[in-house]
Amino acid sequence: MALVGNIRDFGLSDFLYLVDRGYKTGCLHLTRGGDTASLYFDKGKLVTATRNNIAAPVADLLIAKGKLTPQQSQHAIQAQRSNGGTHIGQVLIQLNYISRDDLQQLLQQHIEESVYTLFGWPEGDFRFEQNQRPETEALVMPTPLAVEHLIMEGVRRIDEWGRIKDRIPSTDMIVRFVEQPGEKAKGINLAAEEWRIFARINGKDTLSEIAQKTNMSDFDVCRIVYGFLTAGLVDVLKKPRPIPIDAAGRPIQEAPRVKKSLVSRIINRIRGM
Amino acid sequence: MTFDPQGAAPQRRGGVQTVKMVISGAVNAGKTEFIKSISEIEVVSTERRATDDTKLIKKETTVAMDFGRIAISDDLVLHLFGTPGQKRFDFMWEILSEGMLGLVILVDSTRPETFRETNRIIDFFISYRDTPYVVAANKQDKPNAWAPDELRLALRLPPQIKVLPCRANDRDSVKSVLLELLDVILQRSED
Repeated sequence: MALVGNIRDFGLSDFLYLVDRGYKTGCLHLTRGGDTASLYFDKGKLVTATRNNIAAPVADLLIAKGKLTPQQSQHAIQAQRSNGGTHIGQVLIQLNYISRDDLQQLLQQHIEESVYTLFGWPEGDFRFEQNQRPETEALVMPTPLAVEHLIMEGVRRIDEWGRIKDRIPSTDMIVRFVEQPGEKAKGINLAAEEWRIFARINGKDTLSEIAQKTNMSDFDVCRIVYGFLTAGLVDVLKKPRPIPIDAAGRPIQEAPRVKKSLVSRIINRIRGM
Repeated sequence: MTFDPQGAAPQRRGGVQTVKMVISGAVNAGKTEFIKSISEIEVVSTERRATDDTKLIKKETTVAMDFGRIAISDDLVLHLFGTPGQKRFDFMWEILSEGMLGLVILVDSTRPETFRETNRIIDFFISYRDTPYVVAANKQDKPNAWAPDELRLALRLPPQIKVLPCRANDRDSVKSVLLELLDVILQRSED
């Protein structure tokens, strides 16, 4: 069943998080007016993207970049046909027309740029078709791209409070690392100012305190933390309320919990309804 | 019996002990229907014709609260309270959350535009209280409903929180959600 919605309500970065954590395979179709985009994922990682249904074949892109001759292209296409469904990029590598690294670099740069502009869309309908895969001639990267990397870069382009405040309603909130942030951080390249914030996260300081300590604006700190948050690196929490104390200044004890016997009676009654 | 500030102890009035569960969620999540499906009494709703943008979603929407009741025994009664969905009735949530045994968060699985609001509601109820709660993914029978696993990711819920498929108009489905919540409460109760 397709997942449908609008990125105005459920942002692109939120959707990428869902794709990543859900190890989704399929295609995210985005439409805004006459503009369209299709992002293909394999087990939570981006493999290719197209804009406005213009899916330039890999060979055409490589010829345009001077990395492939038309004759090599023809030969590769014939080899692909006789191989029966092998992706064209794989055929080019097998024929030694291009190295895997060069192909990855070229395709990644091309695909990333088409995806990053999508973060600037204030709204747009989305539809995620599970298990839909790209054509064999599409610009499929040899190494799929981790979406945390895309999220961080996309969030760098956000310049409005509105979206950030959905997730970070106040600068009085505390930032803490989620469990094993090191694993998730592997796919992310942080800019210098992002490292300044990253190094200040201690599970105690609020966003405004981090802003003070780094001499950065509240907006910049929140924008950067929003990126960490969306990529699943950190949590933001409200400051815990102080423990109430009695007139003598002693902490008030927690009241006893509800009795098991009472809960069991309710369970039995509802089971019997 | 006195009010328990941790929200877990029952109250006793006239020899009858009462316990409370709260059903919350965004506008049109299915709170009223959920309570109607299980309550033994005619649900007390303060429904009025909507005067704000909620009328775009449904003709009548809950502007105050719903109240349902299940008699557990002669001396024990379970009250079900549905919270108002609109932001302007936030102040009611604090009142309703006092003394509650547990919380059901209902989500309309077909409307991702309500997920942010759902997160805000969860945040309100659990940020200052260690409230046992489950999330019920309502309208699972509708086309394009997000599956419970997808809702867990969309709402960024921790693994220990149960996200349950639900149809608020189906009594057995509602029973199942309440039993799952009671199981969570049972794990945290004392002998």
